[in-house]
Formats: sequence, C-alpha cells, structure tokens
Amino acid sequence: MNRVARRPAAAPAKRRLAVLLGVRDPVVVILLLIAFFSAISGKPLDGLLIMLVAAALAWDSWARSRRAAAEPSEDEPAWPLTAHRHPQPAVQAPAVQAPAVQAPAGQAPGGSAARHNAAVLGGLAGVLGGILYAAVVGSFTRFSWPATIAVVGLGALVIFIGWQGPLRPRPVPGRLPLAGVAAWGALLFAGGLWELWQLLQQPSLTVTSYAHPTISALTDPVLSAQPGRALMLAGWLLIGWYLVRR
Amino acid sequence: MSSHDVAILGYLVLLIAAALLELTATRTRAPVPPLGDVLSRIMRTRTGRVGVLVAWAWLGLHFFAR
Repeated sequence: MNRVARRPAAAPAKRRLAVLLGVRDPVVVILLLIAFFSAISGKPLDGLLIMLVAAALAWDSWARSRRAAAEPSEDEPAWPLTAHRHPQPAVQAPAVQAPAVQAPAGQAPGGSAARHNAAVLGGLAGVLGGILYAAVVGSFTRFSWPATIAVVGLGALVIFIGWQGPLRPRPVPGRLPLAGVAAWGALLFAGGLWELWQLLQQPSLTVTSYAHPTISALTDPVLSAQPGRALMLAGWLLIGWYLVRR
Repeated sequence: MSSHDVAILGYLVLLIAAALLELTATRTRAPVPPLGDVLSRIMRTRTGRVGVLVAWAWLGLHFFAR
C-alpha cells in the first residue's frame, strides 16, 4: 500500500534528477561554458547554436537514462545501438572487417574491385567538393551572411551525421594509460589558460591587442585575404573529415 | 623581449609540446596514447562524439561566421 502511494511522488523526483544528470554531463557543461563565453565576447550566434546542441545532448542523456530506468540492463553499451548505423558494436570491427576481403560464395569476384573503385570515386568527389567549398566560401567576405550560412550549414550537417554514430565500424582503443591522457589534458588546459590570459589582457573582450594577441588576432592577417581564407577553410574541412571518420 | 614576443613564444612552446607528445606516443613505448586514440576514446559515446564535432564546428564559426 505504501509502495503504491509513494510511486507518483517519486517519479517526478527521478525525472528531475535525470534532467540534472543530463546537464551535469561534463561535455554538456563544457558546451554551455563555450556558449556563454562566445556570447559575451561578441559572437551571440555561436553561443546560441552551441547552447542548442548542449540542450539537445542534455535532453538525449535524460531520455536515455529514462529508458534505462524503464528497462534496467547490466550491460548497456556505451553507444546507443538504436541510433547506431551499424548493428555491431565498434569493438568487434576488426573481426567483421577481416573476412571482407574474400568474396562471399555466389558473389561476383569483381565485387571488391567495384567497391574499391566506388570508394576511390567517392574520395575524389569529396576532395573536389572540399576544394570547391574552400574556394567559393573563401571568396566570401569574412563574417558576412553568405560565409555564415555556408559554415553554419556544413557544421550543422557534420554534427547531425555525428549524432547518428560513426560512419563505419572502428576498433575503439581499450582503456588508455591515465598518465598519457593526463598529459594531453594538461596540454589542452595550458593552451586554454594561455589563450584566456591573452584575451583578458586585451583592452576589452572585443578589441584585440598587439601586445597580447589571441590566436584569432594572430590569424587575422592571413584571413583578411581570399587565398588565406581558402587555405584555412581547407584545413578546417580536413580536420572535420578526419573527425567524422573516427 | 616584448609582451607580444612572450605571447608568441607561449603558443610556440605549446605547439612544440604537442608535437613532442605525439612523437613520444608514436615512436616510443612510453605510456602516452596518440592524440587519435584519445579522440577515438572520447568519441565512443554520443556526447563525446558530438562534443568534439561541436568544437570543430565552433572553430569555423569563430573564424568565418558572423
């Protein structure tokens, strides 16, 4: 009797806790901080877009924890398999990929060559598309609406693709050595602090300083000309391609 | 040495440290994972994957968008 009476009161509390846990996810917290600092340093659009992604991740985290609470499972995968492009967990990728070089019985022997050709053509189309994108978007004035639409559109597309899961199964490295991960983390943290120190030494958050240049201020001369913008965009695309394939 | 030079030196030190760390990871048996492995590990979950991709998108927004 008591258990029945307690349930309605406990459910909202659980939901509140779940939402709180979603917002407390370190990635969500970092994104909210980036959104805040972007907004106060004169980039409200950046702040708004990042806040939207942070909210979507917090909601997703809440929804997954709600599903997990409804169907408790001891061995829930790290990646939500329902949203995964591949039914196989990524850790099993080498076992799945190994026999792929042999043509299955009944399949034409040229099947793998056709796949290879398709991959080469796809890669070539991607490279040409990237060069075209960098050249065209690089020709737009910096911070103009055409440049904004092109960058926001591509960024949103890549995040949408990333939301669905990896493009292909990849072996996920096991537990990494803590000292090494800490070294990378310390380097990233030091870089962030150094950039923040230069930013805070500026006359204001939106006025650059020669004595204390941020990375943005240092890249301004390169990005003021079309070739520089095209090169930087090409680099940005390469990094995005590298990340989206991981 | 001016403040400008010190700032540049700081960025260069960070860049060289990152290169040395990557070399240590790939060329020695030190317990340091390559940056790619760290990214793969972070990106194995949806929040990690989307977080890294948002960081990448933010770079584009910051340098080119309004």
